[in-house]
Amino acid sequence: MADKEKRRSAAVPSGMSAGKATKSDSDVEFLSQAGVGELLRGAILKMVEARSDDPIGFLADHFCNLASVTDSSPAGCGDEEQMNGGPVSACAQEQQHLNRALWHLRLAHHSQRSAFSNNVRVAYDLLNISACQSPVAEAPEGPDGSCSDDPIGAGVAGGGGVRGGLYTQTLQCLCSEGGVPASTSAPLLRRLHCQDHEVVPYDVFRHGVLTCAVFSDYIRQSQKLYAEVCCPHEGPASRALCMAVLGTLKEALETSTGCEPDCCVNANNKAYACVESNVKAIRYLEASAKISPNRLAQAMEGAQSRGPGGNMDAKEFENAAADLFITRVKVVF
Amino acid sequence: MSCSEDHTESVDCTVKPPVFLQIGDTKGDSARSGVCVVDVTLPYGKPINIEKITFKNYYTAYVTVRLLRRKAEKEGSTKWCTALTDLALMDNPHTDGGSQNYFSIHRRQMQVQPDHVESIRLILRQPSSAWRIFSLEDIRLFPHKELAPEKEVSDWLSDLIVVKQPPDLEGLPDPQTVSSSIQQMWALTEVMQANRTTASIGRFDVDGCYDINLLSLT
Repeated sequence: MADKEKRRSAAVPSGMSAGKATKSDSDVEFLSQAGVGELLRGAILKMVEARSDDPIGFLADHFCNLASVTDSSPAGCGDEEQMNGGPVSACAQEQQHLNRALWHLRLAHHSQRSAFSNNVRVAYDLLNISACQSPVAEAPEGPDGSCSDDPIGAGVAGGGGVRGGLYTQTLQCLCSEGGVPASTSAPLLRRLHCQDHEVVPYDVFRHGVLTCAVFSDYIRQSQKLYAEVCCPHEGPASRALCMAVLGTLKEALETSTGCEPDCCVNANNKAYACVESNVKAIRYLEASAKISPNRLAQAMEGAQSRGPGGNMDAKEFENAAADLFITRVKVVF
Repeated sequence: MSCSEDHTESVDCTVKPPVFLQIGDTKGDSARSGVCVVDVTLPYGKPINIEKITFKNYYTAYVTVRLLRRKAEKEGSTKWCTALTDLALMDNPHTDGGSQNYFSIHRRQMQVQPDHVESIRLILRQPSSAWRIFSLEDIRLFPHKELAPEKEVSDWLSDLIVVKQPPDLEGLPDPQTVSSSIQQMWALTEVMQANRTTASIGRFDVDGCYDINLLSLT
């Protein structure tokens, strides 16, 4: 650094080389001041975690998100205009939180278990903050009038949970983004939704989000299945064939239903626990044997000869498949 | 597996009274030699395969087990052989450690396979002069039970292995691709079921209606 400083002091007489030196020096300073290193490191870490197919789009979204964060937090609270337009801005801020939460939830696929769980946690914390929280936190002497607009009520300082309406909205967005038509996801949401006045704890939130993510995969898979079952040139698939194929799935699900994870095992008796997991494993094997290619071939052949007549269109097939899934979803209670 | 040995019942056998071997004339001399023989016979025509022999000791120092075995099932001659030589029941014949303990001799401890056994001879030795009377009490024989044969291969497992004549797949979709799609769907449903939570919102209503018991009458 010493020689650079010498050059800088000698910069006045000689122009070009000294100019370059000052430029690189101030570049380094500028970068460190702006904290760009941290920014980029954060972006790269997030990208590695998400492993998205579209890196440029992902980075664009990421920085967009960050920009909205830095914009909203200092400016949002204690602002005169904000307080006056209470309910409207609270709504807008909620929508912003929702968008950010959804962005986080989209980062990792549900099969990437730990990354997905982290993202759910972040999303939950985001939605946990009500619109009234920031003014209360930052300006404790603020007028009480702003809090009266808060739907949850002033008692929920620190976030006791996510508002039921917000949670339901999150689930709806997840389903529609996953490519599930509203009519198909409606029965699922009826089982999972929460009333606006209810407060959703983390476990319920996580369960709902995971179920919707899995459901969108499931519906996509069932659409793919329909495409396989029906011969593309001959229009809709035969009803008998569709019923047979879905029948094998139903059988497999019924076989493996007996081994629910919440059946209690006496912790003192390790031998019993061993037997229980053996029984589970056997049930899984038995269920998977019912959907082996051989069994399916037999089922399809049988259906062709003696099944009901007529055709089944894609929508009906999708609904029937969705029904198999939804009946196994536990209702929120 | 120890559980297969539980609930086994001992076989009916006749334990003959102990015979104390004596040196010299039986009538005159009453000096005990410290050796006693106990015969245990099984009902005629019912040889057994022994799993274990259990008994309660009464001041016997050493025991030798000899078996009368029939060579092959129902045919062949019988032959005496030694299954166990001088098993120490007491640490010190003069002291009473182990003198009234319960013992169990398993077939694994025997030098020969105790199969098709018709008769058992237990030779008890007590060299110490401290204990003139010694014996074994409550001698029981437990038969060897073959492990139950593996349960018959269930239908579903045999279905996987046996490939019947390939069904006529004319005009039908490829079972491999259909099967793999169905397996994915099944796995996704299982994932959903495995991630159920027991947490509750704490609702009181069931299907939108309140339970009448929750309404208070004031």
